[in-house]
Amino acid sequence: MSSRLNVKVGSVDLKSPVILASGTCNFGRELSEYYDLSVLGGLSSKGLTIKPRAGNEGCRVAECDSGMLNSVGLQNPGVDYFIEHELDYMRSLNTGVIVNVAGHSFDDYCGMVRKLDPFKEKIDVLEINLSCPNVKEGCMSIGSSPEQVKKIVSALRDLTTLPLWIKLTPNVSDITAPALAAQEGGADAIVLINTLLGMRINIKTRRPVVQNNTGGYSGPAVKPVAIRMVSECSRVLDIPIVGCGGIETAEDVVEFMIAGASAVEVGTASLIHPDAGLRITEGLERYCEDNKIENISSLTGTLELW
Amino acid sequence: MSNKQEYKAEIVSKDYLNEDTLFFELKCPEIADAAIPGQFVNISCSKFLKRPFGIASANKEDGTISIGVKIIGEGTKNLSEIEIGEIVDILGPLGNGFDLDSFDSYILAGGGTGVFPLNFAYDTLSLMGKNVTTVFGFRDRSQVIMEKEGHIITTDAGDYGIKGNVLAGLDSLSISGNPCILVVGPTPMMKGVGEWARSHSLKCFVSTEQHMACGVGICLVCVCKIRSEDPNEEYKHVRCCKDGPVFDYEEVIL
Repeated sequence: MSSRLNVKVGSVDLKSPVILASGTCNFGRELSEYYDLSVLGGLSSKGLTIKPRAGNEGCRVAECDSGMLNSVGLQNPGVDYFIEHELDYMRSLNTGVIVNVAGHSFDDYCGMVRKLDPFKEKIDVLEINLSCPNVKEGCMSIGSSPEQVKKIVSALRDLTTLPLWIKLTPNVSDITAPALAAQEGGADAIVLINTLLGMRINIKTRRPVVQNNTGGYSGPAVKPVAIRMVSECSRVLDIPIVGCGGIETAEDVVEFMIAGASAVEVGTASLIHPDAGLRITEGLERYCEDNKIENISSLTGTLELW
Repeated sequence: MSNKQEYKAEIVSKDYLNEDTLFFELKCPEIADAAIPGQFVNISCSKFLKRPFGIASANKEDGTISIGVKIIGEGTKNLSEIEIGEIVDILGPLGNGFDLDSFDSYILAGGGTGVFPLNFAYDTLSLMGKNVTTVFGFRDRSQVIMEKEGHIITTDAGDYGIKGNVLAGLDSLSISGNPCILVVGPTPMMKGVGEWARSHSLKCFVSTEQHMACGVGICLVCVCKIRSEDPNEEYKHVRCCKDGPVFDYEEVIL
């Protein structure tokens, strides 16, 4: 891949703006069977918690038009297992290592960052997940309160020098409020958006399709919501934005960058085509070539509103 | 090591086996070459997600595989409308597949769409010269599919073969040696056959099914439960698509 795709998200240098989103690439092992992940800007790990989690019971997926609901419930092997068995592997992929940190409480997040900070040589970014809609406590309920966002980000800022990216939930009336709160707390970047809370119903049983009743809606259907939120935040924030939501093509990446994103995360697309990250990266190379763009980051925030 | 990819496969034949079940052959030499029985493919069907189908046969010389499709929802309905010559996106072969090496003789027990992967197991075991007995159970004569010479067929209605379910078929066998049981079908059938195997002190493997998204082990939506070695936890969630779909009956919690 050429240097045309090199981007910076704050202090973090990435080979490309294309990052695989948390929860859609595990720790990279499975997708590395399909392509060389070193073409990517980075890989965001499965959302980790301080203790292993079995995740939610019963059906965890419901297909929708142009997307899907998932309710995995942060199934993960726990941060200690990750450090021991997966971190070195992720590092070996020769791409940005973004560790997704989830939790149920203020203490959980602090405990996670304390455990990860000693491995800062192997980690490029801590992505703080304040937005998972599928667990009963923490995460989304923290992310939807600007006061709590600021409190938690400030606390984490004191615990590590690693770049902190704060992944926010779109399930709020004003996305700029938690985004500004994260910035005030000392965040290095904002990741927008996690999934939209949704429900599907089996009309025969009159029960929700997913056993957790609700799930997180992802896929191309959520893309316009995400782009709107990136654009809104871009106008009020001083820190960079990583855009996420329904990206399937290079043109989608360009749209997010014009809206204000410095980099993007590709999620559900990898569930449809395991090599989606590669296809999008190659598409971006062609886009730069065709449009005589020397560096893709020149697109960031070039939106002109009517 | 990146050596897997998504393929385009042409539909080379399409037949109705009964009113709602079709049999497709698809041209995909890479998958035909690599597939082992018990594995599956994930196929695009004009919906958002692909759909998983157990591989029903693989012909390395022709470069074709076959799948059975029972029309259940919109995705399988869309697939039923695909015509010969059309192209689908396909991932595979996926999953772990059956262990066909460790035993000298096998009993295959199946029903529903489970008869398709077992057909592949039957073909392969026959070619290997192993002793293989097949018992397929159906609702009634009109539902009987994938019957080959020597297969034992049971029907609930009793209008064809042995009256009763697959257990009636298994009870009709005189068991010698220590055959391994492979069962694929609805969960109650797999539980019934698993218990039957246990009562005969025979090894039994089941093939699990769950609503699936990626098929390659990255999204964690298609989990099933296995018994945990850790005394502090009741069970562990594992991925049907990547860790399975085939599990030891003694290990999986159905």
